[in-house]
Amino acid sequence: MADRLPLTGADCFLRAFDDEIRRRCGSSHNSQLVLELGPGFDGERLRKTLDEVARAQPILRAPIRRGAFSPPAYRLDLAPRSPLPPVALHELEEDAPDDAVREVCFRRLNETLSGRDGRLLRFDAIRRGDRTDLVMTWLHMLLDGSGSEAFVRWLDEVGGGMRSPADLPPDEAPDGPVDRSGQPLGARERGDRAMRWQASMKSLGDLPTRSLAGPLRTERQALGYQVRGFDHGESAAIVETAKQRAGFLTPMLYYLAAALRAHDAVFRMRGARPPSYVVPLPVNLRPKGSEKAIFRTRVSLIWFQVEGEQLDDPDGLLDELKRQRRDAIKAGLVEAGTAAMDYARWAPQRVYARMARRGLAGELCSFFFAFTGEFLADQPTFFGAPIVRGYHAAPVPPSPGSSLAMSLHGGRLNATHVTQANVLTPDEQACFWTTLCAELVAPGGAG
Amino acid sequence: MSASSSSGGSGDWTRETLAEKVCEILREELLEVDDGFGPSSNLVESGLDSLAVTQLMLSLEESTGIWLDESLLTPEVLETADTLAACLLEELSRG
Repeated sequence: MADRLPLTGADCFLRAFDDEIRRRCGSSHNSQLVLELGPGFDGERLRKTLDEVARAQPILRAPIRRGAFSPPAYRLDLAPRSPLPPVALHELEEDAPDDAVREVCFRRLNETLSGRDGRLLRFDAIRRGDRTDLVMTWLHMLLDGSGSEAFVRWLDEVGGGMRSPADLPPDEAPDGPVDRSGQPLGARERGDRAMRWQASMKSLGDLPTRSLAGPLRTERQALGYQVRGFDHGESAAIVETAKQRAGFLTPMLYYLAAALRAHDAVFRMRGARPPSYVVPLPVNLRPKGSEKAIFRTRVSLIWFQVEGEQLDDPDGLLDELKRQRRDAIKAGLVEAGTAAMDYARWAPQRVYARMARRGLAGELCSFFFAFTGEFLADQPTFFGAPIVRGYHAAPVPPSPGSSLAMSLHGGRLNATHVTQANVLTPDEQACFWTTLCAELVAPGGAG
Repeated sequence: MSASSSSGGSGDWTRETLAEKVCEILREELLEVDDGFGPSSNLVESGLDSLAVTQLMLSLEESTGIWLDESLLTPEVLETADTLAACLLEELSRG
């Protein structure tokens, strides 16, 4: 096994924002996956399994270091000196309210994990009688959304004796950007593509935008979230409409349109609609469920920009999002994004974060959005307990200050709205959810 | 809008040649598939995802002049290269 595993360009892109949060807000760029489990969860077995897995897969506690002339890398050789990822068991009263569980979730989301010290991952199992909320929190660059689900599935298989802790195919994907057929790009092509992406990013600044948090907040990070789970009937209707309107394999645009209209409703409530909305949509660059690359992030971004008036017509908005996505893919901006992110492996973190904000006058975007599709589709249980519900909580830098992550589990649609404290008033939060729900059920229904 | 055509007409395309074109694009540019991949292979099971389907439609637009709106891409249409070819041919024949 190699002593070092380089971070991908996308990892370093995220690392730049981790650095920004660390400096400005005293925390780190943490992501969270939550499984609501029924009876039968075996926490001790999880702890034992995670210990075995972390010993067999050193990346889970490897310090991240930058060499004098090399990009940041996981120092696998130093991993044995770092502590094993912890599994904390919390016992609450059987009738403890959901807020008591959320308090643990939010505390972990706002704690500092550290790439430098190899503290990258932790679990919390919160018991209430025979129910357990299992919370996995990690430094976002270790796993992307798809990778985190693959990791949970693999952990369960190891815990169930179906695989050994070492039984994980090596990540053999090239570290740098590749062309459409998977071949590494030459230096010139890489530079050309990065310039093309930078030009497209720069053009976003032609129309001013503003996030709900306003540009650059510097107080201590205090992320929290609300989760809305739609029932089976509502979910089935929404999912079917999304597929019919936006396409069987591309329903995310339908959900993004609803999210845009929900944010717009809040801005209109404030009486200050921004001239444009700018939202990046992550593009997973590996097949969902792939076993080949659980760790490190493999994503690019497609950027959307819509003017305020375009949100007044829901059908026109969806057509506009389709057009922008198609044009971006046609222009090769997905591949260009990976080439641009590759430069983040070499640039100092602060420079990169500053460059990203400069184009939009201090903002990164209007909000972050992700639709991760079916959540652990073929996994009904985790360490002996049925999975009742599962969802992601996506991290968000101090501005834009809010993110919306949507996914499906067991036929139910879930939406997690993560916000920095005080970004939304209770009335604004209520307006956001009312509009989002109405727009998902019937676009334009919120007025 | 359901579909748009820049050149129009079905030209020399048949369902068979369209299906073979779909397979050729997927094999050579977009998916890692084995030699057994053909017009009746299941596309989603072969790895067709949200990005690949749009790249496929863009390549087909270059070849045929027809752009299929995402709302036409149902599970039935995207089942195999052959079913997709049937949908494309129908749109081509409409001009």
